[in-house]
Amino acid sequence: MSTFRRFRAMDMFRFNNINLDRYTETYDLSFYLTYLSSWPDLYIVAESADRSLMGYLMGKVEGKKELWHGHVTALTVAPECRRLGLGRGLMDVLEVASEKTYDCYFVDLFVRPSNVVAIQMYENLGYTLYRQVIDYYMGDGVMPTEYANDMRKALARDVDKKSIVPVKHPVSVEDTFFA
Amino acid sequence: MALYVYAQTQNPTTLTLATGSLSLANHVEAIGQGDMRRGQTECDKLLRKHSTHQGALALKAYILAKLGNAEEATTLGQQVLHTPGALKSSHVLQGLWLTFRVLRLPELEIAVYNTALVHTPNSEQLYCKIFMAAARSKLYKDQHAAAVALNKLFKQDKYLWWVVTSLLMQAKSAQDSSVRQLQLTLAERMAEKALSEGRLTNTEELRIYLEVLELQDNHAAMIAALSTSGPLAEKIANDPDLITQWIGLLIKTGDCKQACTVAVAALEARDNWADYKLYVEATVAQASEGEGPVQAACANFDKWAAQRGRERGAKLAGVELTIRLHDAGYAKPVDEGADAVGERIWSYVDQFMTKAICYSDVMQHFVTHVKSATASGQTSGAIDFHAKQLEQRLHNARAAATATKCSEDAAQSWVSLERIRYLIQALSDDVDPQRWVADIGAMLSFGLDSDEAEQKLAACSDMTLIACQRLILAAFLAYPEPEQRGLLFASLFKVVCVLEAGIKMNDDRFLLKLYAIRLYLYLSCYDRARALYDTLNIKNIQFDTLGYLINGHGMSLGCFSTDLELCYDGVSFYDRSDARIPQELESAYGNGTYSNITDFTTFRDNLTHSVQRECTHRCALRGEAFDHGTSKDILEQWKEADAISIEHTDETIAALHDNRDIGVMGLQTPVDMAKWNLEIMTRQIPLPGSAWIKIFSMVPQIMHYIVCSEIELLEAKIGDLLVVIEEAGQSVSSHDLLLARGVHQVATLYLRAQSGDEGFDSELSALTEMIIGALPPDMSASNSLDLCDVALSTIRTASVATELFTLALSVKHALSAQRSPSANAVTLELSQIRKTALKLVGGLRTWTEKPARESIDALWVNAEDPLLASATTFLLSRRKSAVTLATKGCVGSWLKSVNNMAAHWKKCT
Repeated sequence: MSTFRRFRAMDMFRFNNINLDRYTETYDLSFYLTYLSSWPDLYIVAESADRSLMGYLMGKVEGKKELWHGHVTALTVAPECRRLGLGRGLMDVLEVASEKTYDCYFVDLFVRPSNVVAIQMYENLGYTLYRQVIDYYMGDGVMPTEYANDMRKALARDVDKKSIVPVKHPVSVEDTFFA
Repeated sequence: MALYVYAQTQNPTTLTLATGSLSLANHVEAIGQGDMRRGQTECDKLLRKHSTHQGALALKAYILAKLGNAEEATTLGQQVLHTPGALKSSHVLQGLWLTFRVLRLPELEIAVYNTALVHTPNSEQLYCKIFMAAARSKLYKDQHAAAVALNKLFKQDKYLWWVVTSLLMQAKSAQDSSVRQLQLTLAERMAEKALSEGRLTNTEELRIYLEVLELQDNHAAMIAALSTSGPLAEKIANDPDLITQWIGLLIKTGDCKQACTVAVAALEARDNWADYKLYVEATVAQASEGEGPVQAACANFDKWAAQRGRERGAKLAGVELTIRLHDAGYAKPVDEGADAVGERIWSYVDQFMTKAICYSDVMQHFVTHVKSATASGQTSGAIDFHAKQLEQRLHNARAAATATKCSEDAAQSWVSLERIRYLIQALSDDVDPQRWVADIGAMLSFGLDSDEAEQKLAACSDMTLIACQRLILAAFLAYPEPEQRGLLFASLFKVVCVLEAGIKMNDDRFLLKLYAIRLYLYLSCYDRARALYDTLNIKNIQFDTLGYLINGHGMSLGCFSTDLELCYDGVSFYDRSDARIPQELESAYGNGTYSNITDFTTFRDNLTHSVQRECTHRCALRGEAFDHGTSKDILEQWKEADAISIEHTDETIAALHDNRDIGVMGLQTPVDMAKWNLEIMTRQIPLPGSAWIKIFSMVPQIMHYIVCSEIELLEAKIGDLLVVIEEAGQSVSSHDLLLARGVHQVATLYLRAQSGDEGFDSELSALTEMIIGALPPDMSASNSLDLCDVALSTIRTASVATELFTLALSVKHALSAQRSPSANAVTLELSQIRKTALKLVGGLRTWTEKPARESIDALWVNAEDPLLASATTFLLSRRKSAVTLATKGCVGSWLKSVNNMAAHWKKCT
């Protein structure tokens, strides 16, 4: 069973059971701390009944006018905690905050096309492919260089669902930056 | 290379100086390009013409600070600071605050801003800079004063909360309770007023207010704040942490009825285990008033359990409620039988054993149940009950999992039950090794040799790990005596083989690698352990939490330079953190995310005063001693060693935090069940602690005093070393103690040489005896080595001899430089030792190249050991390649260590 709560800097001392998984990146401290100091309510961790960490989601809000949206920066679940619906639960917290606290138009995320399991989960949550981003993921010796699927889900504020109208042609990484 | 790595700190600031003056354009350009020397030349050129050019002086101070000339930079900076009117210029101001920030002198940095305020009164920017400089350095009084000024002058809500936060931080660090209370009262009043005036608008501000109230145990006011109406109420409702805090507060104030109401409302919206636990607590607290609350809770649990995806939480809450009611003395209405608690636990297991998390959910409940039974003298009853419950389930699960085409759920169920079996055996204090290895053959077959294993099913890797854990435990239980270490090592080697097979099968499973690293190091095999460690891609904060797995082991096994590289990565991480965390603290204030202030501050304290940080630095210092050059280079290195900053007192040692993430080892029992804790069991040497840190702080200090001929300080220090050695006991490995004694011997030899007294010859003989005695035996005489001796101590002891010789060589260089008449005698003796060492280490190398492999085959692989018979049979029949890999891993690692040592002895001329 899990408790969802805000991630704390002190959690970094014990998130290895999640981060030792080869597909989870361990970033420099300032990356985590910047998210905490900027969007503490969008950085959520799931903790088990025995107090070990199970997974976490790092999110942010960005963009202007109709591009104001919530973004999933990282979503990762410890190997032994998969198939429990934790990913869905963590996404739910971000979506609720994006809609109710930040009044966003949509939520978006990037995922490797090869990560079929994750894409399936996002589709089940209502996300659709918005566009592809050329060479978004750079090879690091473990994972190959790959396109990204930019997936989006419209929130209540986007009444006409304009934000999720697919872009036909792949875009470059620069096109994904929000001022 | 400087010997003292602490001095190599990263620059905390990036220079973005505005010139403000054309005459300084070249200087700033040079600095901007990182060419400090050219910048300094440009400054000196300008100062020759205009000796009082304050801009050039400020820049020069900055350059000197960046070049590490702290003393001169401070003097020059202070000179500019006290020059009337100098800080009217913005570029002088900028150059000067940057100087003091680089020098880490926050008081002087703040003095710069305060002086500048004379010229630019009421500058918001300057007050903000004072606030941030003080916040970064925990100068809370200055921080508070700046916040008050900002609030008074600019009347922004943000500044009001800066005042409140400053008061809170001041109160938390205050020694005097009356001062603390005064600050908290002030903070409370300001926040309360802000709340009533509608100036407390978000949950970040609310959190600071709550923290102020909590420190005063003012729970009623906290509840009032959380029960507020208006727009803030909606934000609170969407904040699960605050809801949980609210329920907890209601319980603390005795309002359990309301706690249940809030908890139910929260749980209607979402599953949250923290809320379930509090709901149970509030329900149990009301149990004395009748059955109503308990029945209501049970009804709610049933209702939620019926909802899609909510079964686990609601069911586990039911187990929790049963246990808590039982412990509180209320057997009914949910508890109707003697083993109702146990049955509830098993009912949960039956329903969720197909999930990998099942064990994590129920482990504590099994422990609590058995311990509770123990308290009432019923241990065996509880154990027997669980063993009986397990038996048939385990049989069925195993049958289902080993059937053709087993499902993922069936595989996971068996794993979950195996974990429970492990726990029950540990709780029953089962010390029979045979029972620990029962069914190992079946477990290995499923984990490594089934169709499911081929498909890389996670349950198979888990089963392999459980099998390894059982084998390790059985080996330590079966062979606890020193004379049985041959059998112990043979058993552990076989576990390594199984782990290698598991890794080969599924390279993603990091737990198998963690255990393999631990066991290879137990067998003194650094190279293979290091290769596995490298595949884990450990970096950044993990240097602090996981570096302990391997840091320093290379130094103890002759792999000095490879270990040193890793230490430097760690040192570099700590230096980066020192610079960046304060910046993030500033961001938190800037963004108004006050909930982070306490967390970031605690995090920084833990990292700054981390045991692992101290150990990494000590290992780096240790490794640098092997960085050979000319005698002049070596002496220069020791001279540069900072003998002061690395000094530790009992107080500073006591303030260290242990951030090592020991729980990551995937233990099957709670960490505090020390007797069954494999993490502790598989450490061949104790984790570095206070005695270790003290010893390895003293070594560079002693060498520094020798090279600088500081006799009195040296005498005092070796006295201290002796005390630490005597007090260290089992907290330091025998090899580290041997090294420490050797260092004492080296220092004593130096003192005798300097005083020219009669004891010199005997000290020289004693040192020779110590070094030669630590070298491997003469292979030409016997041509055989005990395999276990090699795995246990031969390489480690030879490494100590190598390190001692290296230090003795530095002493020889010091004596020569100091024109001591004894220098020649030491030179001759060291030359003889070196000749002997080259021969003995060469002999060890010859043995490691071939006979070692044969010994492993004869003594470890083919050892007849009934305890591991099924594992051996499995390995030899199904996984011969893993045996070969592990053998290569051992032999290759030992050879690498010996080769490194041989190369080092050759270099040491």
